Parts: sequence; C-alpha cells; structure tokens
Amino acid sequence: MSDVFNLLLFQNTLRTATPVVLCALGCLMTDQVGIMNIGVDGMMLMGAFFAVLGSYLFGSWVMGLLFATVLGVLLGLFYYVFSITFKSDEFIIGVALNILAGGLTVFLLRTLFGVKGSFSSPGIVPLPTIHIPWLERIPLLGPILSGNTLLVYVSWVLVAVCWAFLYKTPLGFHLRASGEAPEALRASGKSPERMKRLASVLCGVLASISGAHLSLGYLTMFSENMSASRGYVAVACVIFGGSNPPRVFLAALLFGFIDALGMRLQKYIPSEITSMAPYVVTVVMMVAVVVLRQRRQAARERAGRALDGR
Amino acid sequence: MKTGFMQSIRALIALKPRQKLTVQYLLSLLIAVLLAFLVGAGIMLLCGYDPIACYAAMFKGALGKPRAFGNTLAKTVTLCLTGLAMSLAAKAGIFNVGGEGQLYLGGLAAAVVGARLNGSPVWIVTAGALLAAIAAGGAYAWLPGVLKVKLKVNEVVTTILLNSAAIYFCSFMANGPLKTAERGIASGTDAITQTAWFTPLIRLSNLTTGVFYAAAITLLVWYVMTRSTVGFEMKMTGTNERFARYGGIRADRLALWGMVFSGAICGVVGFLEVFGLHHRFLTTISSEFYFDGMLVAMIMRYQPFGVILMSFFFAILNIGGSAMELSAGISSEVMLIVQSVIIFFMAAEGGISDIVRRNAAARRVRRNARRAQKEARV
Amino acid sequence: MSEKKPTIVRFSHVSMQFPGVLANDDVSLEVQKGEVFALVGENGAGKSTLMNLLYGLQKPTLGDIYIKEKKTAARHDPLRAMALGVGMVHQHFKLVPSFTVAQNIALGMEPKRRGVWYDQRRVRGEVLALSERFGLPVNPDDPVGELSVGLQQRVEILKALHRGADVLILDEPTAVLTPQETEELFDVLRTIVRDQGMTVILITHKLGEVMALSDRVGVMRRGKLLGIVQTADTSERELAAMMVGRDVIFDELRQGEPGTTEVLAVRGLCALDDRGLPAVRGVDITLHAGEIVGVCGVEGNGQTELTECIMGMRPQTGGSVTLNGKDVTNLTPGDIRAMGVSWIPDDRLRTGLSAKATVTENLLVGRQREPAFSALGIHYRKGNARRYGERLAEAFDIRSGGLEVPAGSLSGGNMQKAILAREFSFDSPVLVISQPTRGVDIGAIEFIHEKILEKRNAGCAILLVSADLDELFRLSDRLVTLYEGRITGRFPTDDITRQEIGYYMTGGRQKGADEA
Repeated sequence: MSDVFNLLLFQNTLRTATPVVLCALGCLMTDQVGIMNIGVDGMMLMGAFFAVLGSYLFGSWVMGLLFATVLGVLLGLFYYVFSITFKSDEFIIGVALNILAGGLTVFLLRTLFGVKGSFSSPGIVPLPTIHIPWLERIPLLGPILSGNTLLVYVSWVLVAVCWAFLYKTPLGFHLRASGEAPEALRASGKSPERMKRLASVLCGVLASISGAHLSLGYLTMFSENMSASRGYVAVACVIFGGSNPPRVFLAALLFGFIDALGMRLQKYIPSEITSMAPYVVTVVMMVAVVVLRQRRQAARERAGRALDGR
Repeated sequence: MKTGFMQSIRALIALKPRQKLTVQYLLSLLIAVLLAFLVGAGIMLLCGYDPIACYAAMFKGALGKPRAFGNTLAKTVTLCLTGLAMSLAAKAGIFNVGGEGQLYLGGLAAAVVGARLNGSPVWIVTAGALLAAIAAGGAYAWLPGVLKVKLKVNEVVTTILLNSAAIYFCSFMANGPLKTAERGIASGTDAITQTAWFTPLIRLSNLTTGVFYAAAITLLVWYVMTRSTVGFEMKMTGTNERFARYGGIRADRLALWGMVFSGAICGVVGFLEVFGLHHRFLTTISSEFYFDGMLVAMIMRYQPFGVILMSFFFAILNIGGSAMELSAGISSEVMLIVQSVIIFFMAAEGGISDIVRRNAAARRVRRNARRAQKEARV
Repeated sequence: MSEKKPTIVRFSHVSMQFPGVLANDDVSLEVQKGEVFALVGENGAGKSTLMNLLYGLQKPTLGDIYIKEKKTAARHDPLRAMALGVGMVHQHFKLVPSFTVAQNIALGMEPKRRGVWYDQRRVRGEVLALSERFGLPVNPDDPVGELSVGLQQRVEILKALHRGADVLILDEPTAVLTPQETEELFDVLRTIVRDQGMTVILITHKLGEVMALSDRVGVMRRGKLLGIVQTADTSERELAAMMVGRDVIFDELRQGEPGTTEVLAVRGLCALDDRGLPAVRGVDITLHAGEIVGVCGVEGNGQTELTECIMGMRPQTGGSVTLNGKDVTNLTPGDIRAMGVSWIPDDRLRTGLSAKATVTENLLVGRQREPAFSALGIHYRKGNARRYGERLAEAFDIRSGGLEVPAGSLSGGNMQKAILAREFSFDSPVLVISQPTRGVDIGAIEFIHEKILEKRNAGCAILLVSADLDELFRLSDRLVTLYEGRITGRFPTDDITRQEIGYYMTGGRQKGADEA
C-alpha cells in the first residue's frame, strides 16, 4: 500500500490537476458570460506547442510563456469574433478549433522540427521549480506544497484572484451580469459584448497557459494529442463546480487525484483501465451533481407540502 | 384546369424564399471552399512548396487511378455513415459526439462474435456480427442519451469523455483477454473466417461489398429524416422540445431513439471496417473517422443529401492529402487545416450574411431618407 | 389655462426607419417640465421606438432630439441620456436576478474603494437614503429575483432616480401590476412630480390610466403622431377612436345561457413552480359545456402552473383533474389531447410554436399521425399537409410570406392566430386558453374574441386565463380570482365590478371561495 499512497501520489495530483485547474478557470470565465467554450482542449494543445516553440527558439521559459500568452489572446479573440460577432454555433466552433489544433500542431511538428510523434530537445527550457523554505517546514504537507513548478503556484493564486475578481470588483459584477442579464447591463451603459470579449481573451490565455504547464512543466517535450481530452474534463469541472472558482478547483483536484492514483496503480492494474478511470469518474461526477440537485428539489417539495398543511 | 394552374403558380412563389436560401447557402459553401484552398495555398507557399503541384497531386491521388478512386469511395462511405449518424441524432436535438467510442465497441463486438461463430455458415457469421455491432454501438449511445433525456446531463461532455473510456477499454481487451494467439498481430483479436470477408470491388483498394450495406443504411436514414412521419416528429423535437411535448409528441422517446440509432450506425461502421478491411479488431481500427464525419454533418447543417455530397468532397481531401504527402512531400495535416477553415467559414456564414445584409439595408435606408429630405425641400 | 411650462424634451421631425417598416414618421412633439405626458397607441404604433430614441438605444434616421434644449449628440447612448437626466423604466425589467437590490441599482456606476474593490457598504447607504427621499421603501440586500413584480419595478424606478433622472419614461408600467399596485405607483408618480419637480412620460395603451394620471396625451398611429390633447378635454372613447382610426365599441358579445353538463373538474390541485416552491395550493374549478370561466389574476399567482397541470406538462403534487368523469391526473399531454382537451399557451415562442419549423409544420402538429397525413403511420404526406395548412391559414387570416417560412418570422398577432387555428381545428370539447391577446393588435383581438365566442356558443367548455380584465369581463360567463395559488372568489360576471375584483385578485377572500 505504501508504495501507492505516498508522497509521489500527492505531488502528482497537484501536477496533473494544474492544467485542468487553469483551463477550468478560463472556461469558468466564459461560462459566466454565457458562452460554453468546448474548444479549450484545442487551445490547451496549441498552447503546449507554442510554449515549447518559444522556449526552444529563445532558450528561455519566459519566452515560452509569452508565446503561449500571445497565442491565448489571439485564440480568445478568434473565438469571440466567430461565436459572438458572427453568431456561429459555439459547439461547432469549439470542435472545429480542436480539430484545427490537432492538425496545426502535427503539421508544425513535422514541418518545423521534422519529427513525428513528439519533439524533445535539451534546448527546451522548462519552467522553474520553486522551493519555498517556510512552506517546506510544514510537517507532512511540506514536501508536497513546496518544490512544484511555477504554474502550480500561479494556479492557486489565480483561483483566489478569479474569485475576488468575480465577486468583489465592479468589473466582475459586469462580467457576471453580461451572462445572466445582458440587457440589464446594456441599459446601464456598459457593453455586454465587451465583457464577453474580455472573458474570451481571458479564457484563451488561461487555456493556453495550461498547455504550457503540460509541455514545459515537468516534461520538456511536445507530443501529438498531448492534451488527451483534459480540456473536456475542465469543462466538466466547471459544470460540476457551478462556475464557482474554489469549487471548480476542488473538482479539478479530484480529477488529478484519480489520474495520479491510476498512474501509481499501473503496477497492479492494466494501464488502459487506469487511463480509463478518470474519464469514467468525471462522468459519474457529472451525474452525481445532477442527481443531488434533484434530490434537493424533492426535499424542498416535501417541505413545501408541509407548509401547506397537507 | 385554371385553378390547378393558379395553384401551381402559388406553389412556385411559395417555394421561392426557401430556394433563395439554398442558393445563397451553396454559394457561401463555394466561397468557403475557395477561401480554404487559398489559405492552404498560403501555408504551402510559406513552407516552400508549390501549391498548384500540391493540389494537383491531391486530386490525382484521390481520383487518378482506379485503386485511388476505390479508396476515395470507401472513405466517402465511412464519412457518409458517420455524418448521417450525427445528423440523425442532431435532428432530434441531441448531439452525439461519442460516435468514435461507439464505433470501436461496435467493431470489437463484431470481431469477437464473428470469430466465435467460426465454422457456421457465412450468413450467420455476418448476421451475428452485424447484430452484435448494432447492439454494442446502440447500447453505448443509450447511456449518455438516457442521462441527457432523464437527468438533463450535458451529452456533449459525457459522450466525449466516454469516447476515451471506450477506446481505452477496447485497447485493454485487444491487448489482454481477447488478444489473438496469432503471431505478428500487435494488438488485435482473432480473425474471422476468410469466407466471411467482404470481397473488394476494385482491386487493391479499400472498396468492398460492404458499400452495399452502407448504401442501404444511407437510404434508410435519408428516408427517415426527410420523408417519414417519425422524421417530422424528430424535427419538432429537435427545434423546440417543449413544443413537441405540448403537441403530444413523445419527445423523450424520440430523442433517445435518435441517439441509440446514431450509436448503432457507428457500430455498423466498426463492423464494416472489421469485415471489409482488417478482418479482426485492431486498436488502430479508426483514426478519428467519426470526427471527420461529424465535421461534414455540421457543415451541411445535418441535411442528409448535403452530407452525402460533402462526404465525397471530404474523402477527396482526405485520401488526396495522404497521397499529396507521398508525392509532393508536404505533411497531409495541411488538408485538416483546410477542412477546419471551411467549417469556420460555414459556421459563421449565417452571421456574416446577416451583417452584410444589415449594412446594405442601412445604407439603402440612409440613401432613401436623404433623397426624401431633398425632395421635401424642393 | 395654465402658464406654459418650459420645454424639457423636444422631438423635431424625427423619423426612424427599420428594414421594411417606418416606425416613426416625421414626429414633432414637446414635453413640458413637471407634467405627466402620456403617449398612447396600439402595439406597433411607434411609441416605444420614439422613447428608445430619446433614451439613446437607437439613432434616429432623420430629425433631432433636444433634451433641456441641448441637441443630442450623434453618438447619443443611454449613458449620455442618463447624464442629461433622462431615465427609463422598461416594460421588461432590466434587472440581474441574482444581484441584490443595491447591486442592481448601482450597476454600471459602482463606487470603488482604493480603485479596485467594490464599495458595497457605500452603495447600501446611498440606496437607503434614496428610497427614503422618494418614499419608495426597499431592502437593499434582497436578491432581486425573489422580489414581487411590483417591488422589482420599484427597484427599476430607484435605478433611474439614483442616476439623477428628472425625466422619467415609463414603458407600459402597469401591464404586470394589480389594480392596488397600480394605484400605489400612481400615488408615487404624483408625489414625485409635485414635490420633486419630475417630468413623467408614460407609454401605455390603457386609456383608463391615461385619464387618471396624465396632463396631456399624444396619440400615435402607424408611426405618425396624430395629435396632442389636454387630458381634461378628452375621453377614453375619443382617444380609442383616434388610436384605431374608427369607432371602437367595447361591448360584451356573449349570447345564450351557458350549459350545465359538467365537463372538467379540478379538485384540490397542488403543484410546484420551477423553483420548487408551491405555486398552486388546492384549486377547485368546475367547467361546464358551453361556458367560459375566466381566471383573473396578476401573472405569477399560479395560473401558468395550473394550466400546465391540466395539460399534463407539469407534475401535480396533489389533487385531481377529471374529464367527463375520467381521472386524467398526471397523464401525458398526448393522452390528454386524445381525451379532448386543447391548450393555447401563454408563451407563444417557448411552448406554442417551433420558431424554426415552417408554418405548415406548426399547423400540423397533433395531426401528423392521422391517415390523411401519414401513410401507414410511416410516410409523411407533405402535399396533404401543405393543402391543409393553406386551408387553415385562409380560415384564420394568417398573413405570412408563404407557408414554408419559419414560424418565427411571423408577427406576434399572426403567430397567435396560427396557434389558435391549430388548437381550434381539433374541435376539442374542452379548451384551455391563456393570455390569448397579449401583444396583439386591436384588429386581431376582435377576430380572436369572435372565434373564442363561436366555440363557446357551439358548446365548448372554455377555461380562459388572462391578465386583461377587459377581455375577461367581455368574454366570461363566470369569473374566479386566483391569488398566490388559491381561489379567492367566484362570481357571475354580471354581479361584480372591476374595482371589486381587484380586491380579490390581491388577497381579499370571499367566504366559501374554496368550494367550486
């Protein structure tokens, strides 16, 4: 048992959950303005590629992140223009974006680097690992909390920032209003379209950066289809967490845990089954949320009947 | 006699607005394709290839030799079936994005049952495998379908996640309990008896007698969707589910059946791959077949006739793309990029034409108002 | 004659052209400071459009608008209108349901602490002060989505006042209020006009209220301003004639006695609304052949849920529905239709039609499995369907660009006629009709009322749910009032007045109202 439930398991949990956390935060933004962005998986994949590209070309992880960020802005604007200005079906645009991402990354992989399958090179500079001395001293949790790469900590900070932004700043209120009651926002003189554009761009950046964590975080490589549907898991987490940053964070952690557990259990259970598990669990999660909501409804029904004295 | 004439004139005039829309749509499609080809040409130039040579290689590679043509037709069949599977469910208002997983499971079931029935007459082997494929695909689609219909769980996300689950599961089965004892097969099940294999129609190509199964299914789906009463009810369910329920239509049941049949068709695609091509289940049985078919369906707005036509075009792009890679050297993924540009443009077509129309109308209005003002002053 | 007050808002030769329709045609009018100006006209006359131009939601095609003698800029928008002191309370409230009262009032101009954080404490304080000053009590922390419609409207008014409005435009404000709430609103308006020097522009089609509240009235028809009169110098009948262009008689058309055979019996019906809260709490109604029973109530008191239960679109949590003696509780809509009930729902686009399907298809739903339209239950007979659609469209005067266009492209009145055509064609002995003439022009209203009465005189049992008292009084044999999910009164139509019924619609209870 101890070689399964050990430090490595929890460290891997954080590492696996982080891209989902970042991506889910982005999805959460667009969900708040009433858009469901299914294309985040493709954005993650492209972010992963361009981060590697940037890091390789300039020998710096900063450039890698910068490439991913700029790409994210462009992707966000692209998504906004098509789904809002051109009123395209979000679902079609999202899926098409994922297909474009797959095609483009493989194409560039073969054309720019001349390889198939994956690209790895000592020239790629990974994200820095950060050791926080006072964090390390905490018993039990210390080695888990400290020694992670940059984006893991960034993701924690962003969860708090997103929450504060959405619920404690006027701009956050405007963002939420543009999804819930855009006409109300428009009547007060602000443009819901501008809020949706902002949310789209934020989503693009966050999804791209989540890809950067995949390719520059612990491995320094890009491989075809690296995102492995994690973008869709992020969407599921947003649904599961009701677009609330802390809840979404917990959902993503759960996914990371199951995934990491699967990896540790590969010694005893065939790898395909363990790879399957996170996806099945996510589906079960989604169903559980809905069933719970319905049970709460039924309880309210019973209370309502009691009120009427029947 | 006169009234009949007047009636037909009235009918013609009544059809006009719909025809106008179709013409506009086809025109937009043409523009989208040209635009996409231009983008592709741009990418080719950037990478130092000659676009004309590449495109020529592509068309030649898809239609030049009988063998290539056979492959293109075979690909058309796959795209058409998966596209129709998507369209059928979409018509009832439910998005089946899990066709890939249903395809895998259908293929696995067909291969396993077919191999188990080795020794029985050919028609039993074939029928048994076909039924197994239909059941497997249908059942696996039923799950997310019932979740959506009864519990309102988003079917796009569940079907995509279940895709991964199914593919991993099939991989596990093909590498584990169901792995064939034959040497040289990396991850696959036992082969079905040679007598049950489909016969190729064009030598050395992928086109087999399986195409007749596909034609039958295509005809059936086209009929159901466009000419049947069930299709009418599905359309009502898909366009406004609450209205359908209010009108007495069993919307739940229709949506669920749409999903199940969609999955069944995908299972059949797996069956066709096994019996026509690989003769066993391999983990490489499909490479995103369903996604390609889904794209076709989305571009042609789930209209069956359009799906059939577009499947042929996309098959050319697909087969031609691989051929292009071999002869011209450019990576075949560039055709994927071309395809996604077509989708983007077609998805935006409605919005773009709205904007164009609005600007034209506003300009016209301003012109008329200015003219009226001038006349009033005179 | 009162001295001429200064002009606060002026329209000068304003025209507004939309694709295909001239919404405002060379309109010139002046609104004086401190008056209550009513703008009346039918649906589509152009009154809302004109005010949208003033408020900056649209730009006029021609002409100029002056606010306090300053011409509005070419880029005039709601922000600028609000800065100039013009506030608008829309017919469909522009509120965010999950935000609190204070957050809604401050939306778009939230004060900040240290440049970043939302200073909610300050906003609460400002809202409380404002509500006291104008006599509009509210609780700043209530989520707006849980408030009554009257309170929500109060929040809308406070929103405008918070931005320093001294011209208040109200678009059909009483459409969703009870008679009592309407009186409260009018008291508030009179007070703020008198004590705070406000100017009020009232857009409405309810002539009784115009007579009660306004100083001057402007009448619009088909985009043109026909004229402005002093309210004291005119009457409802005169205004109605101007609005429609002909003499309109608001008579009652019922003839003959209602039948006595009991057809539909609702007993102790209970149901929850979409939020899980009790909406129908023990309703008893009996319907006889050849009669119209009108259900009076302000929207939101359980009418929608009641009709949905009868049709099988909503699960009941208690009670029963009996049709000709047979229990139809919780059957599917298809079964209930088969037993002879048809429903015209209150929500055209959500429930009554499929906007994307063609008009023919919409007209056919419910009959698609009949042998005439379905060969062997399999093949869809398009030709027959088309011919049937044409016949219905002609009989019910449905105007559209051909029958193969999406139903969503029809006008509101034509949509309603299409739904009526379909539901009436089933010749059901029981008809449940909800809000049949909401958003429909006077000409079409006449037509629809005629058709409903035809059915009644032919022996149908009709349950009529409406928020329009005129309509209810005109058509019903009996009236019941519904308040918070319970029947509070039952009256033969001739034995009660509109004022009295308002009392029962808002909670007053009649003795013995619980028995059918």
